[in-house]
Formats: sequence, C-alpha cells, structure tokens
Amino acid sequence: MLRVALVILVVLMVQQTVMVALRIGGAHPDLLWLLPITAALLDGPETGAIVGFWAGLSFDLVLPTPFGLSALVGCVLGYAVGSLTAAADPRAGWIKPVAAVAGSIGADMLFAVLGAILGQSQMVQVDFLSLFLVVGISSAVLVLPVNRLMRWALAEEGHRRSLVSAQSESRAW
Amino acid sequence: MPRSRRSRRTLTVIVLVVLSLSLISLDQNSRTHSLTSGVKSVANDVYSPLRQGVLDVISPIGDFFAGAFNYGSVQSQNERLERTIGELRAAQLEQGFERNQLRDITALENLPFLQSLPTVTAQTQDEYSSNFTATITLDKGRADGVDVGYPVVGAGGLVGHVIQSFHHTSVVQLVTDGQSKVDVTFGNGNQFLGIVDGQGPSSSMTADLVPPHTPLKKGEPMFTSGLDAASYPPGIPVATARTFHTSAGASQETIDVDPAADLSQLAYVDVVQWVPST
Repeated sequence: MLRVALVILVVLMVQQTVMVALRIGGAHPDLLWLLPITAALLDGPETGAIVGFWAGLSFDLVLPTPFGLSALVGCVLGYAVGSLTAAADPRAGWIKPVAAVAGSIGADMLFAVLGAILGQSQMVQVDFLSLFLVVGISSAVLVLPVNRLMRWALAEEGHRRSLVSAQSESRAW
Repeated sequence: MPRSRRSRRTLTVIVLVVLSLSLISLDQNSRTHSLTSGVKSVANDVYSPLRQGVLDVISPIGDFFAGAFNYGSVQSQNERLERTIGELRAAQLEQGFERNQLRDITALENLPFLQSLPTVTAQTQDEYSSNFTATITLDKGRADGVDVGYPVVGAGGLVGHVIQSFHHTSVVQLVTDGQSKVDVTFGNGNQFLGIVDGQGPSSSMTADLVPPHTPLKKGEPMFTSGLDAASYPPGIPVATARTFHTSAGASQETIDVDPAADLSQLAYVDVVQWVPST
C-alpha cells in the first residue's frame, strides 16, 4: 500500500502543479482518473475500485468540489473499467488508450452530473466539448507513464493480473 | 471466476460506495460540514508547503522554456507595460483633485467605500484546480484574518468571494463561476438594478432581472449595489455591458457582460474584511 500511496501523492502533485497550468479552452488534463483505470487494467476491478477510492479521497482534500465525490466516482470508475476489460487481452496495444479516453470522459460526465445533483449546478455548465477533447487526448497520452507508475506500485505486494505473465507484459512495453 | 471471489469483490465495492456516500452526506449536512472542513483544513496545511516546494523546483525550468519560446512577446509586453505605467502616472496626477473631492462627498454622504475597509493582501497559489469550478486558492487563511464570505477584489474590480477558509489558505469562488450571483446597480444615478450571473469559467457572464428596454450603452459599468443583506459592500466594479437586446415579448433584457476585473491577472488580490449587515 505504501507504493500506491506514494504514486497517488506524486500524481496529485503533478496534477496540481503542472497539469492545472496547461489550460486549453478552459479545461486542463485530469490525471486522477488514470489511477483507477490503470490499477483496474493491471489487477482487476477490486483493486481498481480501492485505488480509485483512495486516489479520489486524496484529491477531494484539495479540490473545492464536494468532499467524497471524487472518491465515489473513482471507485465506480475502477470497478467499471476492471469489469468491462476483464475479458479483453491485456497485452493488446489499444486497450490502455481506449480505456483511458472512455474512462476519463465517462468519469467526468458522472462527476458533473453527481455534482449537479448535490446542488453544484455550475458543474454541468462547463464547455463539455473542450473538456472532453482536452481530457480525452491528454489521458490517451498520459496513460502510459501513469500505467508504469501503477505497475511499479502494484508489484510491491505481488499484485498482477494472473493471466498476464511478467515476461509477456514487459514485451508489450 | 469462483463465486467467493466475486462476492468479495462486490462487497468491497459496495463498502467503498457506501463510505463515499457517507462522506458526501457529512460534507453536505450543515451540522457535520465542520468535520469535513476541518479535515480539509489540516490536509491543506500539510499540502500547501509541499506543493509550494514542488513549484519552487519546477518553476525556474518552466520559466526558462517559456522565456526561450516567448522572448519576442515578453519584450513587446514589457514595452506595453512601460507605456501603460506612463499613462497611469499622468492620470494619477490629473485625478488627484477629483479623488479628494470624491472622498469629501463620500464622507458627507456617509457612504461606505472600499478604501475605508480593512483588507488583507494575498497571493494566488493556485487557479482553476478543478475543471468544474472557477476558483482560486490564496495563501492567506483564518489565521491571517480571511474568513468565509469575505469579498475579494483586484485587477480592476470584484474578483469573487471566499467560500472555504483553512488555517493558512483559502478558496475564492470567482464571479465567473456558475454559482456566483452578484447584486449590481448601474445607469445614471445608479437607478437600475440587476444580478450578474456567472456562467462557468469558459462562458461569458450575464446580467439578469433587468427590465426590458432599460437604456444601456456598450461598456456600461455595473457596481455592487450594497442593498440590505447584500453579500458585497457597495460601489465595487463588477462588470461592463458587452451586448444587450430585448427580444419581443421578453420579460427582461438579455445582457452579456464582461468581468470588470482582469481575471487573467490574479497574482495578488485584496480580501476585504467585510461581512453583510444582518
């Protein structure tokens, strides 16, 4: 768990120092969702949900949005990505970028809708086209380094999806 | 997949979802909100210096590349700034007499004006930390006299108001945020009233509840009204009219406005230690 916590902290710092400055069309890349997505791809829905919950909670501490909302969305995202990709071949080159783009956009939509339900109506007033373009493209690019970090973190406790051997996965990289 | 593993997985997710919903409930409930606010406050006290340390390390690298790529624009910006400083110096000399007159009149009328209110100057640490809110984070908090609800001014007008205040940091909701509503007054003798609504960080603001065919001109300034129980002291520039028209049969004039403050220049702002009169 120590390595996972460290990775969450590093990603939080990168997000809040570098990514927030990269604003295009009023939106910036969002690394948070890549944590549960990569955890779910590497180790299944349960790990995805757990990593999503703790990553979301860490981000909730520093974001002005309702406390617990990122944790909820992160948890659901990790579980959904892990479940939907369970039958896919994890060595396939397309799976990481596709999961990153679809997962990040889906998570942003869920986050906005739940926020609006909680009384933060401004969360559905953003320019969704810019948001989805920026978050989608950046997630497709940044999923690779985040996946590396997550693989290192999950290797600590022998976490690995059982159907992927370390050797075959390293070939895929 | 074995049934026991699937059951455990489902149970884990259910527990995490319930836990998340409980945290959201605690945060939304006014009686228990102080609990989550306290946790965030402690976390921010730990996080802010850490984040500042990271920024101190990476900023020179970013500045180096930014300077190398934008040398031409920086040079022309510098020339523009020097010209503006010269113009402001001249204007300051001209306005000295008028300012004295205004101060005298305001004192006679017993109207509150911003210069008489105590302010706390703060530096902006962070802008738009979320894609879904228009907020900035300041380096001053409760320990420095910054509290929830205080107006924030700078860069030529109203910037917003404090929505979260921690020990040494605070979060300001900008006037462009979708949740922001400011009572304004405008026109000759400030005879017209309206509400300036934020429409989100990437959309223009609107002025609502203005009667149809209210006379306006492009660039018409709008100021905080300071009516009873208003959230802001009177006389702070909020916005300027950009476009306006009254549609046939409409119950109000459609007005798009621009923020009076330059929200791209928020390195330093003033927090006004002012609370609404109840």
